[in-house]
Amino acid sequence: MRLNRRWISVLSPLILVLVWEMLVQAGVLNRRFFPQPTKVIETLIDLSSTGTLWNELGISALRITVGFLIGSLIGISLGLLIGISQTASAALRPIITAINPIPKIALIPFVVLALGFTEWARVLSLAISVMPIMLLDTAAAVGRIDSRYFEVAQNYGASRWDTFWTVALPASLPSIMNSVKLGLSYSLTLIIGVELFGARQGIGKLIWDSASLYAVNKLGAGIVAIALTGWLITAAIDALTPSLIPWQPRPVDPRIEESPIQRQIRVWWRATRPWSFTAATIPAVLGTMIAAYQGHFNLLHGVLVMVGSIALQAGTNLINDFYDYRKGTDNEQSLGIGGAIQRKDLTPRQIFLGGISAFAVGSGIGLYLVSVSGPLILILGILSVLAGFFYTAGPAALAYTGLGEITVFIFMGPVIVVGAYYVQAGAVGWDVFWASLPIAFLVAAILHANNLRDMETDRRIGKRTLAIILGRKYANIEYYVLVGGTYAALIVTVILGISPLYTLITLITLPTAVNLMRRVVLNTEPAALNPVLRKTAQLHQRFGMLLVGGWVIALCLKLLSGN
Amino acid sequence: MIPKIAIEAVTIRYAGRAGAGEVVAVEGVDLRVQEGEFVCLVGPSGCGKTTLLRAVAGLQPVSKGTIQVTRSDPSRPATAMVFQGAAVFPWMTVLENVDYGLRTRGMPYAERTAEAQRWIRQVKLERFAEAYPHQLSGGMQQRVGLARAFAYNPEILLMDEPFGALDAQTRLILQDTLLELWQTSGCTILFVTHSIDEALTLGDRVVIMSARPGRIMGEERVSLARPREAVQLRSDPHYGEAFGRIWSQLREEVR
Repeated sequence: MRLNRRWISVLSPLILVLVWEMLVQAGVLNRRFFPQPTKVIETLIDLSSTGTLWNELGISALRITVGFLIGSLIGISLGLLIGISQTASAALRPIITAINPIPKIALIPFVVLALGFTEWARVLSLAISVMPIMLLDTAAAVGRIDSRYFEVAQNYGASRWDTFWTVALPASLPSIMNSVKLGLSYSLTLIIGVELFGARQGIGKLIWDSASLYAVNKLGAGIVAIALTGWLITAAIDALTPSLIPWQPRPVDPRIEESPIQRQIRVWWRATRPWSFTAATIPAVLGTMIAAYQGHFNLLHGVLVMVGSIALQAGTNLINDFYDYRKGTDNEQSLGIGGAIQRKDLTPRQIFLGGISAFAVGSGIGLYLVSVSGPLILILGILSVLAGFFYTAGPAALAYTGLGEITVFIFMGPVIVVGAYYVQAGAVGWDVFWASLPIAFLVAAILHANNLRDMETDRRIGKRTLAIILGRKYANIEYYVLVGGTYAALIVTVILGISPLYTLITLITLPTAVNLMRRVVLNTEPAALNPVLRKTAQLHQRFGMLLVGGWVIALCLKLLSGN
Repeated sequence: MIPKIAIEAVTIRYAGRAGAGEVVAVEGVDLRVQEGEFVCLVGPSGCGKTTLLRAVAGLQPVSKGTIQVTRSDPSRPATAMVFQGAAVFPWMTVLENVDYGLRTRGMPYAERTAEAQRWIRQVKLERFAEAYPHQLSGGMQQRVGLARAFAYNPEILLMDEPFGALDAQTRLILQDTLLELWQTSGCTILFVTHSIDEALTLGDRVVIMSARPGRIMGEERVSLARPREAVQLRSDPHYGEAFGRIWSQLREEVR
């Protein structure tokens, strides 16, 4: 029954499109006014292969990013202020309530009058439109917080400042994330209007131009593209939310009547350890953004680099599971990770073949990238596959020797960043290498945290990780060096002018880092070090996103001042 | 001897819902609690016992009379409250929750982590130090609430029906936990409950309040020996007698 309904929901839109197509072909719907679905798809493919689509979408995405960032940052901060301070609420609320019902499009002419047909006018129009919504939503979210929590804070002698950071902000964060999602979709709507005003490029511009030329299929293609973008943004935020709000219970999906195919997908997805993918995607995006900052950008190649590195990462994880199982390192004792074999979800043979297939996919993508960029990718790719495979395979498995950290440092740091950069730019300099070092240190710190936790068990089974070779005291120092090196490397690259100043926003993670370093000294128990491992991985994620964010800000400002 | 908490002729009124005029929650209450004593306030629901407790905590202004809290150690905070339901912060791990009061007091990191971990062990949650509240049962959440309050190390603990929302079995276990914690910390406790059983199990003294407006009708000194254990107490003949005396006073008030 359920399966039937699922098919109905797949079929109904397809039938609609099909009927539409036939009506246009039969001439019932006038071709001059109605796009034809097959032609729309054709146009879409055409536009994306010539690169037009990516350019137009890119420019619009840039405007949305900057406009939304400005608008939502101001909105959220003022919203929080209104939420916790009665005085601020009394002063600001009437103004905002008066502004909010005005259709935001009507404000755009004012901004244009003041700033002319400039890029800043478009960005500010977006910001002004988004700001009141974000503000009111955030204030409402703070208002909805259970007053008991404020009483608890007061009872424990929390200052206003403490109360803000420990109660108001975290308690309203889930609602704020929701408004961010809505605000972004709203920005997509607005961008079409904003680009009506003298923009030379952008997806909105493409839509308006197509309309004025009666190019209805191109118009349709533009609309489909923007709809897909909106869907992607929502999906991306949904994917990021659990790592930003770890305290929220995840909705338990009732796996009623899971089909065998769905089960296979779930089992494999889990076996690849998807939560480790950020270790590969962050350097890939970083390399791509550095290239974009220097004026080289191709979205398709950027996406391919990302997919390729994820494939290699998944392959490494699967092969790792296979050999760890064979060597008996992972058993019920180990605070294990993949564990698909132990859970009997998959056979060791399946895992091994899966790993090889993932390497094959990664290599395939790599070869294509070699053909569009150059031989450096071939060299880096071959080395990466070898490193991934021999990480746990073979008699001299890298992870079981003192070379684990250095391997991860090189391959999950400079190699991916330099590779991603090279794919875009076709050449590469030392500056890219230096800029990749902060995340290289941090990704090595994740592995080291793992080894610190497992010291006792590893020693018993004869693993010789660097932590064991160094001994507890120096192993702790190694953790300091790796985490400290992250920030030191970043600051040095900023001082030398290699990384832009904005990458210093990563320093807001410094308290967490210091906290972790303290914890490492205080604890030797595996159970107590387990959270250190988890939080080091989380730190890598957040630091990485902020680092990329810093480059994106620099890129946006450069593009805006250039236009 | 100067009492730890001296409540003298306290009346608390507050504005009711629109049009309903003033509500007199508590009227002319006198109560003294000695240092290190465990006093339970029982009474029918809505009798103003929670209001009185909140007044001692400073969360509720008093209309008439005085509440005086005598400090003996200025380095310790005066009071901490344990709320109905656990009221632990859902966005903090168990460790961060227990650590909360220590952090607001500005204790250095290493010291306060060790201290928080000690109390987490006391309430037997060491395996869950890094878990978030939504991963814990109601009883475990209230244990976090207890650990948070005891770690703060106040001179007086004010407890507002902390186990009210728990099932009977979990309640018994938590009562034992609370007694253990109280014995190790030696603080003064004022405990509000509507359960005579709970009051007799925990308290040195049970103070009986009337229905609204809340007045003190009488009190029962609990002569049961310590250390006590919730289940064994029930078979003690003194327990049944004390229960009967309290119930005979309360029966009239419960409607």
